[in-house]
Amino acid sequence: MEFYLAFILLFPLAGGLCNTLFARLLPRRLSEAVACGAIWASFICALLVFFNFTGPLKVEYASWLTAFDFQAPVTLYLDQLSLSLALMITFVCGLIHLYSIGYMKGDPALARYFALLNIFVFAMLVLVLAENLPLLYLGWEGVGFCSYALIGFWYQEEKNATAGRKAFIVTRIGDIAFGIAMVWMYRLFGTVSITQLNSMASLVPAGIVTGLGILLLIGATGKSAQLPLSVWLPDAMAGPTPVSAQIHAATMVTAGVYLLARMFPLIGASEAVRAAIAVIGGVTAFYAATCACAQRDLKRILAYSTISQIGYMVLGVGAGALTAATFHLLTHAFFKALLFLGAGCVITVLHHQQDIYRMGGLKSRFPAIYWPFLAGALCLAGFPGSGGFFSKDAILGAVFARGGALYGSLFALGLFTALLTAFYTFRMLFVVFHGEADNSRPLSPSSGEWHSHLPPVMTVTLIPLALFGLLGGILDLPEYLGASAFLSGFLGPIPGFAGLVQAVPGDEVSLQIIAAATSIVGLGLAWSRYTGDRRAASLAMEEAGSPRSDFFLYGWYLDHLYHLLLIRPFEWLSRFLWKRIDESGIDGSLDGLARFTARLGGVPAGWSSGRVVTSLFGLAGGVCVVLAYLAWRVLG
Amino acid sequence: MIPNSLPILTILVFLPLACCLLLLPAWKRPRLAFSLALASMLLELALTVGLFASWKGLAAVQTALPGFLLLEDRSWIEAFGIRYTLGLDGISLLMVMLTAFSFCVAILVSWRAIKERAVLFLVLLLAMETGIMGVFLSLDLALFYLFWEVMLIPMFFLIGVWGHGRRIYSTIKFFLFTLFGSLLMLLAIIALHLFHAQQTGVVTFALHALLKTTLAPHTQLWLYAAFFLAFAIKFPLFPVHTWLPDAHTDAPTAGSVILAGLLLKTGSYGLIRFGYPLFPQAAHILTPLFYTLALIGIIYASLVAFAQEDMKRLIAYSSIGHMGFVAIGIAAWQPVALSGSIIQMANHGVTTGALFCLVGMLDERAHTREIAAFGGLWGKTPLWSFFFLFFSLASVGLPGLNNFVGEFLILAGTMKSSPLVAALAFGGIVLTLIYMVRLVQEVCFQEERQPLELTDLVPRELCLLALVALLNLWMGVHPAPLLDLIRTPVRLLIGGGP
Repeated sequence: MEFYLAFILLFPLAGGLCNTLFARLLPRRLSEAVACGAIWASFICALLVFFNFTGPLKVEYASWLTAFDFQAPVTLYLDQLSLSLALMITFVCGLIHLYSIGYMKGDPALARYFALLNIFVFAMLVLVLAENLPLLYLGWEGVGFCSYALIGFWYQEEKNATAGRKAFIVTRIGDIAFGIAMVWMYRLFGTVSITQLNSMASLVPAGIVTGLGILLLIGATGKSAQLPLSVWLPDAMAGPTPVSAQIHAATMVTAGVYLLARMFPLIGASEAVRAAIAVIGGVTAFYAATCACAQRDLKRILAYSTISQIGYMVLGVGAGALTAATFHLLTHAFFKALLFLGAGCVITVLHHQQDIYRMGGLKSRFPAIYWPFLAGALCLAGFPGSGGFFSKDAILGAVFARGGALYGSLFALGLFTALLTAFYTFRMLFVVFHGEADNSRPLSPSSGEWHSHLPPVMTVTLIPLALFGLLGGILDLPEYLGASAFLSGFLGPIPGFAGLVQAVPGDEVSLQIIAAATSIVGLGLAWSRYTGDRRAASLAMEEAGSPRSDFFLYGWYLDHLYHLLLIRPFEWLSRFLWKRIDESGIDGSLDGLARFTARLGGVPAGWSSGRVVTSLFGLAGGVCVVLAYLAWRVLG
Repeated sequence: MIPNSLPILTILVFLPLACCLLLLPAWKRPRLAFSLALASMLLELALTVGLFASWKGLAAVQTALPGFLLLEDRSWIEAFGIRYTLGLDGISLLMVMLTAFSFCVAILVSWRAIKERAVLFLVLLLAMETGIMGVFLSLDLALFYLFWEVMLIPMFFLIGVWGHGRRIYSTIKFFLFTLFGSLLMLLAIIALHLFHAQQTGVVTFALHALLKTTLAPHTQLWLYAAFFLAFAIKFPLFPVHTWLPDAHTDAPTAGSVILAGLLLKTGSYGLIRFGYPLFPQAAHILTPLFYTLALIGIIYASLVAFAQEDMKRLIAYSSIGHMGFVAIGIAAWQPVALSGSIIQMANHGVTTGALFCLVGMLDERAHTREIAAFGGLWGKTPLWSFFFLFFSLASVGLPGLNNFVGEFLILAGTMKSSPLVAALAFGGIVLTLIYMVRLVQEVCFQEERQPLELTDLVPRELCLLALVALLNLWMGVHPAPLLDLIRTPVRLLIGGGP
């Protein structure tokens, strides 16, 4: 068991190292085989662990940071939560690795790509399986670095490199808060072990728990792209599309949700923290959904939808519905990876065209893309019966069940967001796949031709994801359907997952009917606007743009705000300190001192010029001074 | 492993100087001289590694001073009570290993770069190694001062003769700054010596005798201030840091490696070994000042680093920021934080030394260090870029690489004694990231901005960097042996604790 557990981590690490060290020496096929093999081997280990799983398990493999009472060994913790996430990560990432073989066909830097992708999986698994916070932080920063390197994978373009850098820095800002929380916990409790910390909430006053919770929440907003640190994710779409699927949809961005859920027994003890988490989640879900409605880049729509869906998960954590949040995390991983991979197919056949207004009529030409994409869209929109429907509704149900003005309004906001979600999802689907491609518009910057041949591996990998997305609901069906809720039962024993409030069954049925209706209304709105006769007019109007749509297109001008408030003053201050303080101030005055000393030294040097008169004056002057001094001593 | 009868510490200190004599016959044959010097440095490194491998055995045997693994004590100038006392504990052993290692790096990186007066260069390098070894091993204040000045002079010539740009200005600036501090320290050492003689009638400069001197609070404060200033200049702390960017920018690569790797560490080492133990109350009183200067240093240096246009200067400013973390860990004077600081001294030496090597290698090829001249190097010199990215990541404290270990322990320990300082210092970590990724992006990524003919690393450079990278990784993944090594001395310094 310990053995398999270690190998879940070691396979991706070995694969990554192999591709790093031998980089271009490996033949292409071998590079691909090593990378994919590593992840699938890791998945098999995870499966073996799953079948042998009897209860939570803590294994210490080695020492890492040990100084006096600060102990952070390499210890893994396997429980139902980390196990289900490890299974999901290895499975989804395994499919994405396979897909990448097709997508990255012909890219010269394949080894670097797969090395980073493998190391990313390793870091993500460390994050999920770590038993203490510094080790979790190792994974946390590791995924941050891989994300940075993969967003800027095509580094020649400044735009891509800058997007990678932005992601690294913005998430690091959140990490400061996480770091402070970590060392604060060490100060308070003398330990950084997650299992120990989680049993210690009662030892400290509520105010301190609130402080810790807020710091962890800030950390989570960075990694999970929640307000106010959400700005990096839309730009992160500069990376290759499978990277977007793996890192910026299915796995890394859910790290914040995982952290909050993991530490919930500690921070959930504070009512204020729960409320703050719920508000951040609910508002972000709404914010990102409004932005998604106005985007014209296929990948940016999906990026904003990711921010929005993670907002739901965070909202679920805030409402104390950890099982629902985890459920949504799992289904979202499947359907969002599916949507991104589908988008990758679209982008490939259109020669890297991403503007949806240049698309249309793809349904008839590429049914192999259309049908899986439709499955993903149904899930994202929460169409009744799909996996996304059950998981999202479980969160909304929990929020509703909490009651009170705050959670009541968050529920209303969540429901309205669901309407927006259905609308923008089907807007995307209809604009891209339905209607006719307008021949008067050039399809892509490079050529007007369709790229009719798609590597089969790219479409085949969509199918399992579509099945898991659509049928994901089976994992945790609501009780009124008479099925046993597998996930709730499985996750139930973890502290904090038992659920704070149980929904009343009658309410649950009516809530689901409302949610289903919302989704269908959203679909209808998109249908009436983007299909049939009105399609051309709507598209023309949207493409022309308006101040209002620009507001949403640019994400409520959040980037502009940060540029004005933070980046410009930072650049100014940095130059000011260098030129004015360091060079003119400190060095200038020291150089002045040096010149003054040199001049002072020049005065006696002038005296020793060899002229007799000067010497005589000097002698006389000296004698006078001595005489005056003696006189003063004698007389005074 | 090493026979006890040998005066190992004396060998450690004077082997490089002895090798200087060996170089004299080879004055006209620089290639041979390089090989000889490298051989002696490797021997030195092997000695220190041997000591490290056997330190647990040495620790089992009690020496005259608790915590010390090896001691050598001989009378020297009896009239003034100056003794020749060398002592090795875990902290000195770590520093001595770092010294031997850094000199090997320095000589390997100069292998082709130094063409004029090569043997003189080697003689100075070896003399400096003796001086630095002596600083890290002396337990007699007069002897310490002697070595302290000895290491200064070769560096003065190293920058002045083999430097670039405004090298004369830079080296005089470096010399004046350091001399100013060390003269004040000399006065304080003599004063301490006289106070001790007054109280006990014993004429001595021995550290462990002087530790028992009782001083009036007022006197203690003045003496500590003199020591503090000398060490703060070496550190360097804001606002006495301005010699460092100039010295680094104009120094030859080997000089930068030694400066960043070792000379800065003598400041922090001196504070740990002499400043705090000799004047505990004064140090305690001045802690807020120390914290403030260190914090300003981190934030200020990181901001200034962001605006730099010269790669070497940027890394020089980053050194000030990193040493600010070391300073915070010392100021906290808490076991975990102090362990972090000591580890961080070694970590910074390895990481920043490697970054200076990389910039030096690039400078040899492109004859410029201006950031705006580069771009897209990942495509042209992939190996160089890989290592540059690797060490930059270590520098920004990516967990798994070495700097993280030191920084994190410093912050965790500081949190225990001063939460506000720890929280503010955390902000410094993001500032480090901001200037470092900007540097990496503008040099390695984007489009190339000037057509430059560049060749990638040659095998000698590749091996050197790969070794340093492995060491870096080892220190980041498995720092436990090093942390074990310094545990006892740290406990003895701070007193108490588990």
